[in-house]
Amino acid sequence: MENTKRQPLLEIHDLHASIEDKEILKGINLIVYPGEVHAIMGPNGSGKSTLSAVLAGKEDYTVTKGKVFFKGKDLLKMKPEERAREGLFLAFQYPVEIPGVSIMTFLKTVMEEIYKHRGMEPMTAAEFLRYLKEKKELVEFDSKLENRAVNAGFSGGEKKKNEILQMAVINPTLAILDETDSGLDIDALKIVANGVNKMKRDDNAFIVITHYQRLLNYIVPDIVHVLYDGRIVKTGTKELALELEEKGYDWIKKELSTL
Amino acid sequence: MNIDTITKKNTDFLILDTLKFSPFVPKYLIEHHKKYFSDKNLPSPKNEEWQKLNLNRLTQHRFIQGEKLKLNKDVVSMYNISGLYSDIIVFINGWFCPELSRITNLKENLIFGSIKEMRKLYPQIFDEYFNKTNISDKHFFTALNTLYAQDGAFIYIKPNAIIENPIHVYFFTDGEDKKIFSLYRNLIIADKNSQASVLFSYHSLSSDISFTNVVNEIIVRENAYIDFNVFQGEGNESMQISNTAVYQYADSNFISHYYTMCGHLVKNEIDVNLVGDNSNAELNGLYMPDREQQFHNTIFVKHLAKHSFSKQFYRGIIDNNASAFFYGKVLIDKGAIGNEAHQTNNNILLTPYAHAHSKPHLIIYNDDVAASHGSTVGQVDKNALFYMQTRGIGRKKAETLLLSAFAEEVINKIKMIPFKLYIKILTEKRLSGEKIEKQCAKLGICRY
Repeated sequence: MENTKRQPLLEIHDLHASIEDKEILKGINLIVYPGEVHAIMGPNGSGKSTLSAVLAGKEDYTVTKGKVFFKGKDLLKMKPEERAREGLFLAFQYPVEIPGVSIMTFLKTVMEEIYKHRGMEPMTAAEFLRYLKEKKELVEFDSKLENRAVNAGFSGGEKKKNEILQMAVINPTLAILDETDSGLDIDALKIVANGVNKMKRDDNAFIVITHYQRLLNYIVPDIVHVLYDGRIVKTGTKELALELEEKGYDWIKKELSTL
Repeated sequence: MNIDTITKKNTDFLILDTLKFSPFVPKYLIEHHKKYFSDKNLPSPKNEEWQKLNLNRLTQHRFIQGEKLKLNKDVVSMYNISGLYSDIIVFINGWFCPELSRITNLKENLIFGSIKEMRKLYPQIFDEYFNKTNISDKHFFTALNTLYAQDGAFIYIKPNAIIENPIHVYFFTDGEDKKIFSLYRNLIIADKNSQASVLFSYHSLSSDISFTNVVNEIIVRENAYIDFNVFQGEGNESMQISNTAVYQYADSNFISHYYTMCGHLVKNEIDVNLVGDNSNAELNGLYMPDREQQFHNTIFVKHLAKHSFSKQFYRGIIDNNASAFFYGKVLIDKGAIGNEAHQTNNNILLTPYAHAHSKPHLIIYNDDVAASHGSTVGQVDKNALFYMQTRGIGRKKAETLLLSAFAEEVINKIKMIPFKLYIKILTEKRLSGEKIEKQCAKLGICRY
């Protein structure tokens, strides 16, 4: 049998990042291969949101050390839009409102930019509507919302579904879900998880960042990492998530203090 | 009482010798203002309504009256609004061009033409409504206008008439290398139960320094409706000071849309007098000063009767070193019960050197009122920009999208569909940084 060496989608080497002179990430190491689902769990303040913000390219954070490669390219050198066009997607924990810009217009513009970047002809209006319809069904997105301004007056659940809809439309290579489960009831959670599961393929990957184990019952991870005080302190299988749920984050704290 | 003692004559910037007294303003008014005009001072920057406006831009020059030039029909059609089938009259440099009029209504429901001529033909209507708002006494510029107004639009809609076609007045300026000033006095009267849409558009045909002084009086009688649209697209060296006084009778509706897209200095004042019960006034505006332009809008709505409604909705996008000023005043009079007054002014600054100043002012003498006001001055939302970038939309495109959405909320208030489309297209071009024309004048809008 031929043994082809797999190329990692994402490689994070010794990543340190600060905001306003406060160091939040203190040396993150992570490798994600295509076809994998990674979960990153951690208590509040561990650096979960910082990690996703740094990967997406938020200006407020300064990378003080380390390297990140996405599809072999230096991610930290790219502008946020360049990272997105390369295939990186971040589903925000607190999606922002975009007043006056309807979801329809927004998604259409996004698709135009993607197609332009790929050197392809943009979809016609009819093609786009058909494409959007498919994706809406995938995430059970309410059509009534599509002419509303993006996230304007949306409930928490609607905002999260909108993130997954965008993910479905954009079809990224690596999707980072930043606490997508926060503020969702079990039904909304199931719909969101279902949408994500339908999008899993051999050539894409997911990083699911979550505080609670519950989501991982529906989006089953291959690898679970525990993030604590800016570092990944434990890595395991999905059983690790269950253990964490049972014993709580204090268990991690105790383990680390005895080292 | 004049606090400032200025020995130098305030009207030095206008070479009044080139002007005659207004041929149509009633003699008694001219005499009244002649007496006091030499004592009248230019509004002082200490005056809260004239703060931050650099009138030196105006007074440093010497303007003469412009000439009546022969305008070509083709020139006028360059400024046509696609899809707008309107009755039109045309002015250049303060002069009426009768040969360019296109009026289909033939006086059945509408009297539309030069105020100078209409005063002679319809003296009763003229005498009943001219200066009914007492706008002439307001300040230096309205007094100046009363004394020297050359001509203007006279629009009278007969009782019960519903005018389907929009009424469009073109005001062109062409200094032919001279610094000229034009003075217009416009009078719009919508008699009982009548309805009409009006568009006043201002354009420069050259890049000369010019000054246009406008006074509009708009009388809306019982149950009448006026949709008043203004497009200010004079050149980058042009200055305009305009005063609009609205007088509303019971059950009347007035809606205005001011689009200030170009000019070195533009100051618009709107005074709305809600004199009759159950009247409605909606005042909308979008201003986009660029370079070093200064655009000021001052609004004063007086609720003098019962159960009336007013709404002010103005937005601005300020670029480079430009500045904008919005002063929105509302008065709820003592006996005015059951009124509602709302005001919103939002400004987005595109550079660290742009300025915007927003001043709401509510004067309430009656507690039975619902009033709100909101003023914002800020930058494009960085979080919204980042969000869009993470979806692959480039920063410039994301900014344009946000600014378009911002402007569109006001533009969508325009009821005259071809005019709405015209403004949408112009705004898109401005926001995407497209260089419209090298010379300001061509498309009536500046992009350099």
